[in-house]
Amino acid sequence: MMKYAVEYNLTNVTGMPIRYIGIPFPVAGQPREVHKRYVRGNDMLSGKPMMPTVVEHLTKPLTKDEKYTGPAPAPTPEPRFLPPDTEENLQRLFKDKDWTDYNPIILPTEERVRAMLEGTSHAPDKVVKIIDWPGGKREFTVEKVAICAVMVGAKPEYMPLILAVATQVPFGNSTSSMANMILVNGPIRDELGMNYKGNAMGPHNEVNSVVGRSLTIMSKTAGNIHHGVTTFSTLGSNLQYNNLCIAENEEALPQGWQPYHVKNKFKPNDSTVSFGTGWTYISSVGEAQKSYPSHLLMRDYMRSLAAIGGATVIMDPTVAELLKADYNMNTKDDLSKYLADNVEKTVDSFFGNGVAATMYMPMARQGIPPYSDYLKLPGDTLIKPLNARSISILVVGGGIQTTWFVTDFGLGRPVSIDAWR
Amino acid sequence: MKRIFMSVRLLLLVAVLALISNTLYCSEKITVMNPAIANPMVDRVALTERLDSLDGKTVYLVDINWGGPDAAYGVFEEMKIWFNENMPKVNVVVKRKAGSYMADDPALWKEIGEKGNAALIGVSG
Repeated sequence: MMKYAVEYNLTNVTGMPIRYIGIPFPVAGQPREVHKRYVRGNDMLSGKPMMPTVVEHLTKPLTKDEKYTGPAPAPTPEPRFLPPDTEENLQRLFKDKDWTDYNPIILPTEERVRAMLEGTSHAPDKVVKIIDWPGGKREFTVEKVAICAVMVGAKPEYMPLILAVATQVPFGNSTSSMANMILVNGPIRDELGMNYKGNAMGPHNEVNSVVGRSLTIMSKTAGNIHHGVTTFSTLGSNLQYNNLCIAENEEALPQGWQPYHVKNKFKPNDSTVSFGTGWTYISSVGEAQKSYPSHLLMRDYMRSLAAIGGATVIMDPTVAELLKADYNMNTKDDLSKYLADNVEKTVDSFFGNGVAATMYMPMARQGIPPYSDYLKLPGDTLIKPLNARSISILVVGGGIQTTWFVTDFGLGRPVSIDAWR
Repeated sequence: MKRIFMSVRLLLLVAVLALISNTLYCSEKITVMNPAIANPMVDRVALTERLDSLDGKTVYLVDINWGGPDAAYGVFEEMKIWFNENMPKVNVVVKRKAGSYMADDPALWKEIGEKGNAALIGVSG
């Protein structure tokens, strides 16, 4: 992490050779005695006593390098082609460069990339996105996307969808176990043959598998996300292998329940992909029970998740039908509102989550409602931390069992796939 | 007997040719495209001049709220205690910046510019 600060941050983010002090981790949640030990101990970067090093950093005259203001050095060139080598050595090279998820890849020969480019009308040099996070300014072109599409085993017809996915590179990650979700809506689901019915969330469909993987590979190549260099999650998340790539079973929605993209102002015949970030999902495990209907259990389980205000419920069509027929959930919004009105947790539990503490506690102390209102309450007071607008309802699955997931993924606005045809 | 000997020789020849062919195939070099993108670096900016001494100066210790406002505040308080014990002529001000670590706080930067001589900002990770 210190290497990131001293090297990557200098060359890609600030341009300033900041004099850092390395404090041991973890910091959050540690007793005061630990903080004291850190301060009285050594600077992790120099290995010297921390506080004298702080003083030295504030008083030692600047070096010539630290006084330098001027243009950046030329970037390390990345030639269009890699030096010729054997297939075995190139497979090894891609792994050594951390350009893969350590599953085998298809090597992107020019011929394969050219064939992949047939899947879109856009020119190879068109810039899909300028990636400036985590630092830098990398032009992610259609050709670079096609290279990644070859690597993950895509077919040319997947290109519009993968190009739309490319607009979100790199995926979200943090020192926590942040993960990502890809949701596909519209006719492209059937055009490509995505599975949104039985086993929709399992490893049983080529498109779901390949497209989900593409976000990871694009994030590790163009996105420059590398463990120990630009990402430092303690536990990581194996959801990052496939990024929860799903498609909505729009045809099985109960009457009155709109597909996700239609709820977000797209037309039913538009093809879109939506992205979410979150951490966790909890399964209903078993089928729905009349003695304790699904929406009550969703509420209960969601109490464990409500951290940063977003949530997504993924349910089988049979659950949606049941909720509509027996419990007056006539639209997705009815269920979102029910959950927002009934998912409660204590003030202490809400702020006990480090992400909520990081994001919302400072706002609370600034006097920004509703977080400032929470602070006025005793810690064991129940609050309703979710907003109905931030609770997405998705219908996925084969109608085989009345099961569902509640998740803490917050879904964003859909992105057009058609724009990349 | 002669026919058997010929058959064995033929089999050996085929095996050797297959081995050579396989070796040639495996060592055949191919060219592939590069998925990496050149990453232009940002222009360099000089640090501000350092102080000759901290005596009589005001040093701000700013907590950016990473992990929540209570996560690292104790670290800065411990730093202040260290200054009080070891460099009592230094005036230390511990502050939390407004908003999350991602939000700007121009009011605090202005305050430090007007009242402070140096600042230590953190902790992130």
